[in-house]
This record gives sequence, structure tokens and C-alpha cells, in this order.
Amino acid sequence: MTRRPTALLALLVLLCLAACTGGGDGAAPAPSADVLGPGDIVVASGRDVTGRNGVRQRLIDAWNERQERAGSDYRARLVELPGSADEQRGQLLGALQSGSAAYDVVNLDVTWVPEFAAAGLVRPLPGTLVDADVIDSVARTARWDGRTYAVPFNSDVGLLYYRRDDLERAGLESTDLRDVTDWADLEELFNTVAEADLPGRERGWTTQLAAYEGRTVNAVEAFASAADGVALTDDTGRYTATADALTRGIAELRRRAAAPYTLPEAVRSDEAASLGDFADGRTTFLRHWPYAYRTLHETYGAEQLGVTALPGRAVLGGQNLAVTRDSRRAGKAAELIGFLTGRASERCLLDAGFAATRVSAYQDPGLRCPVTGDKPSPSPTGERPDRMPRDAADRPAYARTVLLPALRGAVHRPRTPLYGAFTQTFTAHLGPLFGADPPDDATLARTLDAALRRALPD
Amino acid sequence: MAGLDPRGLVNRALLVGVSEYDLVQPPHGVPGDLPAVKHSLNRLREALRRTGVFGEREITVARSPSLDDFSRVLRQTAAEAEGVLLLYFAGHGAIPSAGDELFLQMRNASVVAGGHAVFPGAEMFTTVLTVLATSEARRIVVVLDCCFAGNAAWIWETFRDKRRVLLLMSVQANHRTDAGDPDTPTPFTAELARLLAGDGKDGEGELWFRDLADGLREAMAAGGHRTLRGEPWEPVSRAEPGEDVLLRAPAPADDAPHPPPPELPPPPGPPDPPRPPGRRAALLLRTAAGALAAAVRRTRRARVPAGRGRQGPPGRPRLRRRPALLTLALLALALLGFGSYRIVTLTGEPARCAPPLELRVLTDPDLEPTVRAAADAYLTSEANTTGDGCRRSGLTVYSAGSADAVTALGRRSRAWLEPGAGVNPQRDVGPQPDIWIPGSPADVARVTAAQDTDAAARVDADGTPLAYSPVVLAVPQAVAVESLDERVGVPLNRMIDALRGRLPEAEVRRPDPEFTDTGLLATVGLYGTQTGPGARDAAGAERRVAQVGPPSPTAADLLCALPDDDAVDERTAALVPEFLMKSGVTCDSRRRTPRIAQYPGDVPGLEPVFTRVRWQGGDRDAEARDGAAEAFRRWLAGKPGQAVFARDGFREPTGDRALLDEDRAAGVLHAPSRLTETAGRDATEAALDGYRNVGGPGRVLFLLDSSGSMGGLWAGPGGGPGLLKQSFGGLGGRDEYAVWAVSGTGDDPYDTLLPFGRHARRDAERTVDRTAAVRDAEADPHGALLAALDAMKLRGADDERPDLIVYLTDDEDAGHLTAGRLTDVIGAARAAGVPVTMVSLTGGSCDAGEPDARISEATGGRCLDTGDDLGTALHDEVARTGTGED
Repeated sequence: MTRRPTALLALLVLLCLAACTGGGDGAAPAPSADVLGPGDIVVASGRDVTGRNGVRQRLIDAWNERQERAGSDYRARLVELPGSADEQRGQLLGALQSGSAAYDVVNLDVTWVPEFAAAGLVRPLPGTLVDADVIDSVARTARWDGRTYAVPFNSDVGLLYYRRDDLERAGLESTDLRDVTDWADLEELFNTVAEADLPGRERGWTTQLAAYEGRTVNAVEAFASAADGVALTDDTGRYTATADALTRGIAELRRRAAAPYTLPEAVRSDEAASLGDFADGRTTFLRHWPYAYRTLHETYGAEQLGVTALPGRAVLGGQNLAVTRDSRRAGKAAELIGFLTGRASERCLLDAGFAATRVSAYQDPGLRCPVTGDKPSPSPTGERPDRMPRDAADRPAYARTVLLPALRGAVHRPRTPLYGAFTQTFTAHLGPLFGADPPDDATLARTLDAALRRALPD
Repeated sequence: MAGLDPRGLVNRALLVGVSEYDLVQPPHGVPGDLPAVKHSLNRLREALRRTGVFGEREITVARSPSLDDFSRVLRQTAAEAEGVLLLYFAGHGAIPSAGDELFLQMRNASVVAGGHAVFPGAEMFTTVLTVLATSEARRIVVVLDCCFAGNAAWIWETFRDKRRVLLLMSVQANHRTDAGDPDTPTPFTAELARLLAGDGKDGEGELWFRDLADGLREAMAAGGHRTLRGEPWEPVSRAEPGEDVLLRAPAPADDAPHPPPPELPPPPGPPDPPRPPGRRAALLLRTAAGALAAAVRRTRRARVPAGRGRQGPPGRPRLRRRPALLTLALLALALLGFGSYRIVTLTGEPARCAPPLELRVLTDPDLEPTVRAAADAYLTSEANTTGDGCRRSGLTVYSAGSADAVTALGRRSRAWLEPGAGVNPQRDVGPQPDIWIPGSPADVARVTAAQDTDAAARVDADGTPLAYSPVVLAVPQAVAVESLDERVGVPLNRMIDALRGRLPEAEVRRPDPEFTDTGLLATVGLYGTQTGPGARDAAGAERRVAQVGPPSPTAADLLCALPDDDAVDERTAALVPEFLMKSGVTCDSRRRTPRIAQYPGDVPGLEPVFTRVRWQGGDRDAEARDGAAEAFRRWLAGKPGQAVFARDGFREPTGDRALLDEDRAAGVLHAPSRLTETAGRDATEAALDGYRNVGGPGRVLFLLDSSGSMGGLWAGPGGGPGLLKQSFGGLGGRDEYAVWAVSGTGDDPYDTLLPFGRHARRDAERTVDRTAAVRDAEADPHGALLAALDAMKLRGADDERPDLIVYLTDDEDAGHLTAGRLTDVIGAARAAGVPVTMVSLTGGSCDAGEPDARISEATGGRCLDTGDDLGTALHDEVARTGTGED
């Protein structure tokens, strides 16, 4: 009996040597030799509803042109998925599990990487694709269980937007809020602005507290900012919180949603609604993502709009590219990912309004985006493709001073293969906090604790 | 490592079986005696004797004890044990309504029902655990064979001293089970005893607690056992990570060499094999992986017992082999690549839940809130939870326009599977559904009829709908009819005529027939089915429901939009599904006009029907996916699912179609005497065609801002040309359209890219690709819009075609629309009677007072900006004017 397992293990080793691909992190080879020859490499990515989609397509076009020049018949083709993140995840999971659609490269929200990796739906990639130039906090989103499964394409982080003109009218000497680092500081500002009684301003700030991912993000930010920082899981996705810790986190979230400061609509708001309310002048402050920098500058001039790091901790978002398990052109697909996430591409993404994933995009003075697409040369009419203020190197003006530090200090949402169950549970059980008759912190913490234990069983 | 081999220690097993109860009569008695339990006790005692772990005198059997007797023997047994202490209980189990405690009912048990039921003569499981924990036993094994046994799991979770306790429960939480044949042991204990006894083959080998739990789950599944709720019967177990205890040792005669003790914790199961290139290789690898798992399981059984436990019989170390075996195991696992998650569990992590299979659930927009609520409840239900507390499946619920869904499944399934450059249902409709719940079986029939031999999706609808809700005319209470005869069974058009007779200014609205089945079913009634000169007069029927601007997308939107204007709310009747009279009143709590439901005799009702969709090539996990879909279907059609439909105001799908929830909404009839038949495929198809062709083919003029500032908003599907090309999909072969490029501020504010005429979509797209380009110039929206209105007026002079102007812009040059010029444009547009839809590629352009918002509002067009999903919204808007793509 003892001999049989040894023999079978030996057989398995032989089979693996013959059939398995991949390897350890860092030293891993490219995903595998391509099973099929040249042809289409299908990239599945959610429709970008933020108006920056052109740059992704332009980068893909640039790669295709490069292939053409090299005499290669590989072509990357973008297949857009719905704009809703839930639907993107549902389609990618369902299609990769069942085989109902053929994708070579998938663009994954950072919170999905553990799930897709654990389910074996995406392949390990060479760790060299995520080199030291990638911002550390962002690079961690690429890995699961010690391996690299995805490469950061664009990042995201919570930021605090505000009306400089309001602060001036409220009598503040400086409209630079770099020193506002915790919530108490911000509450003082809310009070100062409220005392000025500016016309149209209804509350201090607004954010995204509707029952969707936005609520999870805001809650994780509050929890991480609470005394001693409340983490929900460890690095392996194991639930580690206690009812006592959750009580502290809930207290912080309650404080942030408190009526005197927060626009009542925030509890029903998503990104678009909160952006609209801030653009309508209903609040002086707004928690939002980097893409709002471009959008809000369509409404406000540089002298009116300010942006700074979110007081306390901010959540890291973004999307990573991965090669599917079933890709028949996995080697070339990994090469495409290398191009799309390389230094030049990241600089293009930054210029277009995305949060780039590489330090060089923010700091390297010699790096420029080589892909200009249909962007016209400076014209006599003075028209620009957007109204973002830019620095001397033509980056969005806040990129180096605000965005990069915010990305470096950002916290992750729980990294677990069961993220879908986690976020649904977390969002739903925090709901009563924003209802008509909210329970006390400890009571809510107990039910949340029990529910999260069930959603994330050991 | 925390596995315990208790041989040689003082072990105790207490077997408690309550087969006879003192009180079995209502109202306070337990449900009855349990003769099978007697056999369970006998069989289990025999099995335990043969395990090699419990000596004859270490087993105590308590037959139908009273609570006092049970408490006494429990304390006594607990005090004696030093190695393993095993408690087995078979009998009635009960839970209070809160479900947070489990009561083990002894012979003198009774039940005092009520909001907080109490159970005299029963022991709380918490108390049992507390008494057991007073023991010095190294490990405590508790086996429960009773109804609701799984409810003990959560008590264990919160138990302070749970590390020592390994818990095996016969059935998942909140489930009751049948004790089975009175002449045989209960089904669970029969399997338990069989596994402990090793199928009668002494010497088969060791059996550890975790093996036993796994084996029981497999055995109960293989036996096809079901709980009283009809769910698969699944034993549940709980133990701290790494904790285990030996429950059966090989018979002394077994002198076979034991495998060496590895230093690895046990794996939860075989790692997922990678996907090899061929079927044959897959089989080989699967076999090998299974063998690997089995091998590691076997090696685990032989690990070194912990602490003071017996160190194992002498003379069997074989330690020299360990490095080779371990190295091979680790190498094999490292090479398994994709199964890394499972590898984690093998190298130090406890067993975790694997990501579940994801089901994509497409439904009608009016049904989405109900289906979503049902899905949320199902996700965390026992039915969707495995014995390990893991989810069986995940659900993504979404909706899409009903006509789009039918077209995509019927005629575009190939493109849904493999999206091309122009047609992409993955983006425009949504994920490829595994489950489709349309509003009517007629939708499924239309899909089937439209599919050709190249179809990539196969639809398989349930014979019985999940629920039913008639489409009613919700009339403001003040002008509703009073007699039942007028309220039920009258044709819709006569109802509308009668309403206008009572209130001449009354209006009737229904949601968009292309977006929801409610709107389409209402249209079936509006257009009429009778023959004669008035039959299928779509244009005439549409005049009955004419309104300014586009119809509300869904029935819920319609009910929420009406109270925006009190006067409109008070004079307008709405065609909506009856269930919204109950659940559709949750929009902003404005004052709303109370409404009475009138039940037209010729409008078919909503009948959500569960439809499985299978995709070509999507059969990799066919069996599991079918199983997961079927489990959700059973749940939806069963009691818990029907409770969700009941709460939302639906009716039974068949028979008298009674309300599922007796607590009916105001204005709803308990039992309208006549409910119409199921919608027919032909009737719905004809209504949709009629609706699309009202007014004949449309005419659309697209203005594409091509000024310099559009450069950054040009490329890709979300750029100006991309959005334009996508919207061509809403136009059919008989519609005519043109595209102008807007740039330049002189006398000539536009260039024609595509002249007015009928165009094949592909040709039109090529022309745009070839000719559209950003110019180094500003744009003159004022001049371009006035020219466009002139052109449309000229062309529309001789026909009644529906017209539309679409202006795609980044609003960089909106500054040219000074107040005076804006008034010009608005005045000209009103005079021409042409709706202008403004599409802004920047945010905030549709905020109140902005030029785009004012132009579209004044002309009855729509204003779209980046707050909307521009591609879809523009496509839908254009499709309303056009006849739709062929």
C-alpha cells in the first residue's frame, strides 16, 4: 500500500512535466508556447464609461501597427463588456468557467485577481512583468499565493476634491489642504465653510454610500482609518476581525456619514450621482476617483478646483490584465500585456486621465507618450483635447504631487477568492446604518461579524 | 500537528438514543416515537466495538433517557474520559424560531409553542457542550443524528473551548429529516456505522474523524437522500483547522507497513488538474491527481500522534522513505500550476471554500428587483450552502431591454458568442446568460422561431411559469370605475374610451414596448386582435397613449415619473403589472395619487418563466452548471422562492392564480374573475412590428462635432465616431439617415460625410471610418443646428416620418451658443417639430439650465452625457425613431 502512492506520484510528476505550464514567481517562463499560430488575440475589457476609452484602443492599435511592421500576423482585438463591474465579473467568470466565450486576455478589477487565480481561470505570468518600477502597493494586487497572475494596467485611489473658491470665501488663508490628514481636520473645515453659509451649499461633503461596491470602498476606508486600523482579513483572505474591532470601524463610518456634514443623497449615491451633486455645487468636498480630475475640470477652472489625499486611509482600485487559462496564444498574449503595461503605455494612460501604475510615468522627465492618435497638434484656435491643468512635462498637474503619494499609501480591500460573497455581505449588513432607525455600533458589529464569518468560512 | 491517536488512553463513548417519548400528542407533544433509533443504537455500538479505539466497557448506551437521566450520565461519562470522549445523540431535535439554539429532546420532552417556543424536557446544545468541556478528555467528538442537527454548527463556532471539540451533524442547518424504516437504523447512522465498521472488512485501515465526515457526505449524496424540504441531505462537520482524531485503528492482525508520517496537514481534496491539451491527457491527469490526493490522505492517517498520545506501534517507521515521498508530492503539486489555491491548503492553510460556479441570470427590467431579491436570498440559503459552509454557486443578476434580449438570443447568438467589430451583444445586452427569466413564455417562443441552424445558444424553458401578474390599467382612484363588470374583463380600448368618457382630458401611458414585456403585452391589448377595419391600427392605437417625449423605460419608472407633476398624476392611467401596486411604490416618497387596478380582458399577463440557456462550446462544466441552475430553479419554484414573489405582490402561476400573499395591496382585487390567457408568439411579434413601424420608417440626421477639441474623444468604441457607428444598429433598411461633420465657424458650418438615404450598416460604418476626421478648427453649433433643422424641415414636408437630430459633441464650443443664439435654435427646433438629442462626451452638460439640456428638453429629445451609458442610451434613442436593424 505504501508503494502505490509513490508510484502514482512519480506518474503525476511525469505527466506534469509533460503537460503542465507555468512555474514559480520571478523565474517563471512565459505562460507557454502558443498552441495556435498567428491570429487574433482577444482582449476582454469593460466598457469605460469615464470617457477615456480612446487611449486603451489607441494602445492596442499601436501594438497592432508594431506587429504589422514586424511582418507578424498577430492582431489584438478589443471586445468590450458591459460598463457595470458586476456584469463584467459575471461574464468573465461564467465564460471562463464554462467556455462560453474565448478570451486570451482579461482586464480584471484588482479585487477579482485572487478569485480568478484560485479558480485556475488565469495563468501564472513571469514575475518580471511586474518589475520594481511598478508602485509597490499596486504591484501587490498582481499576486496571489506567491505568484504573479496579472499585471497592473491602470490604478485608482480615493481622493478628496474640493472647491478652492469656497475655502477662500470662507476666509481661509490657504486653499492647500496638504496638512489635512485626519477626519477631525476635515470636520473643522466643514464647520468653517458651513459658517460662511455659501449659497447653494447644502452640506460639507458627499460620497458613494449606495448599496454597491462604493459602500464597501467607503466603509473599508473608514475601517482602515479608525483607531488602530481595522483590517477585515489577513493577506491570505482569512477573516481576522472581531466584533470589537468592527465596532470601532462602524463608529468611524457612522461619523463620516453623519447628518451635519454629509449630503443626505450620499446614501443613495454612486460615482455619477455624487459627482453630479458636487458639480452642481451642493457640497464643498467630494470623495472620488482620479478620473473625476478630468471630468470636474470640464466644469471648474484650476482656480476653483482642488484635490488632495483623502484624510485617513484611501482604498486602492484599478484593473489588471491577465492571460486566460484557455488562451491558445498565451505566449503572445503575455507579450501584448507587457506592451500595454510598459513604461510608455503607462505614461499615455496617465496623460489621458488614468492613474498610472508605474513610478516612471510620474517621475521620469524623459518619458513621453509616443501614441498621440488623433490628438491635434497645438492649433491656432487654442483647443485642447481636455481642460486638465498640466505640469511642465505635460502630465496632469496633480499627478506627481497628489496622485502618486496617494497610491503609495493606499490600502487594499480584502484579498480573498471569495470577494464576491464578502462585498455583498459587507454592503448588505452595513445597510441598517444608513436606514431610518440605525442600530448601535456594537449591535451592528455583532451581526456583521457573524455574517462575515459565514461569508468567509475558514 | 494536532491529530490524536487515542489508543491506549481512557476513552469513553456515550450513545444516547431516544426512540420513545412520553408525550406525542398535540398541542405539546413531540412529533412521535422514533423506532429506527433503537436500531441505530445497536448498530453503532457494534461498529464502535470493532474500531479498536473503544473497549467494550468504554461504551455506554442510554436508551430513551429522561432529561435528568441524560444529564447525570453525561456528567459521569465526561468525568471519566481522558483520551477521546464521544457523545452520540439520536432523537428529536428542535429549534426556536430565531434558530440560534438547538434543543435535544429527551423522553420527557414537550413543546410550548409561541413566538419564543420553549422546550421543557430538552437539553440545550450549548449546555451539552459546556458539560462536555468539563472533561479532561483530549478530544471530544459529538455526533448528532436529529432534525436541525446542522444548527449546532453555529453554536460550536462561538463556543470558547471548541478547539477540543470535533462535531459531526447528520444534516445541514434548518433541515428536518425522516428517520426512515422503523425496522432499520436511521439513514445517517446506518452509513455512520458502516464507515466505522469498515464495511465489515476488519483491518482495512485507519479512519480519522475527517475521513469519516467526508465519507458520510459522499455516502449520503450517493444514496440520493433528501431532507423533508426536498433538498439533498448533507451531513455537516466542524473541527478546528488541523484537528483530527483517530476513530478506527487497523485490527492487530494488520502488520502491513504503515506509510511514514508526513509533516503536512491534510489536503481538503484533490487539487484541480491543469487543463491539458487533449481529452486523453485530461483523463490521465485527473486520475493521477485523484490518486495523489488519495495517497496524501492515506499518508496523513499515519502521522505521529500528538502530545502524550500513543506514539504508534513499534517497528513500523519506514522513515527513510519519507523524503522521497514528500519531495515527489511537493514537486508534483508545484508543477500542478493552476491549482495553486488548493496547494495553499496543502501547505499550511486550513480547508477553504473554492470560488463557486457563477451563474449569469438575465431577466426583464420590470422583474429585475424581484429576481435580484430572490437571488440575494438564495445565495446565503442552506440550499446554496455545502456541508462545509461554502457557497455552491454565485449569481449575477442583470436585465436588458426585452426586445434586445429576444433579438440577441434569437438572431444574434453567434455574435453574442463571438462579438464582431460592429455587433457586440456582450457589451450592448450583457453577459451571455446561463439562465433567462423573461416576462412571458412568448419571448422564448419568439427566440426559438427566430433561430436558424447557426444558432449558438439553445434555450430550454420550464413548462410552468414561476409566477403570474396581470397587466392592469392603474386608474387614479377619483376617476376609476366602480362596478366589477366594468373593472374586469372589458377590452382595454373600451376601458380607455370609458375613462375618457368620465374625464375627457384623461391620458393613458404604458412603458416602452421594446424595453419591457409589460409594455409589449399592453400593446397587444391596445392594437387589438379582432379582425375588421379597426384591427391592428397601430397608429390609431398609439394616439391613445401618446405623450410628450419618450415612454418610460419600465413600469416602475412610469409609476415613479407620474407624481413629478400632480396634475398629470391625477389624470393619467398607467398600464403596469399588478404586482407594482404593492412593490412599485418605493420611489422617492412623493405624494402620489391612489390608484385602482382595472383588469382588461385582452391584455395577457406577465408570466416569468425560468429558461436555461446553453452555449455552444460552453459545456466544459456542463453537468455542474446544469446542476447549479436546476438547484436555483427548484428553489425559485419552491417555498422560499415563492415567498419572494409573494412579498412583491405576484400571483400563483397556475390554477385560479390566487395572490401568493393574502395581504394584498390597496386597489388590487383579490380574485378578478377573468384572467387572460398566456401571450402568444404571433400576437407579441405583431405588436412589436406594429409599434416599430408606426409612422413608417424614420429619418435621422447625425451631427458629429469634428472640431479640434474632439481629438481626445475620437478613438475607440466610446469616441464620437464609435458611438455614432454603434447607434446605426437602431436603424433598419427602410430608414434614411445622414451624417454631417461639424467644424468651421464661417458660412459653411458642416461637411456631409454621408448623404441622406438608406444605407447598409456596414457601408455606412466604412464611410464614417474613411471620412470622419478631427479638423483643426472650432465648431459652430448654432449654425450647424439651424442648417440641420432646415434640412429636416425640407425633407419632412411631404411625409409623416418620425424625425430625429442627434448632435454628438464635447461642448467645447458651447460658448458660441449665447443666450440669443440658443433661443434661435430652440425656436427653430420647435417650429420644425423635430426632436434634437444632444449627446455630450463630457460630464455635466445635461444639468438643468445647461444649453444641451435646454435644447433637448424644448424639442422633446433626450440629453445624454457621461453620466449615462452613452453607447446604449444613444442606440436606444435612435432605435425609437428607426424601425430597427433587420
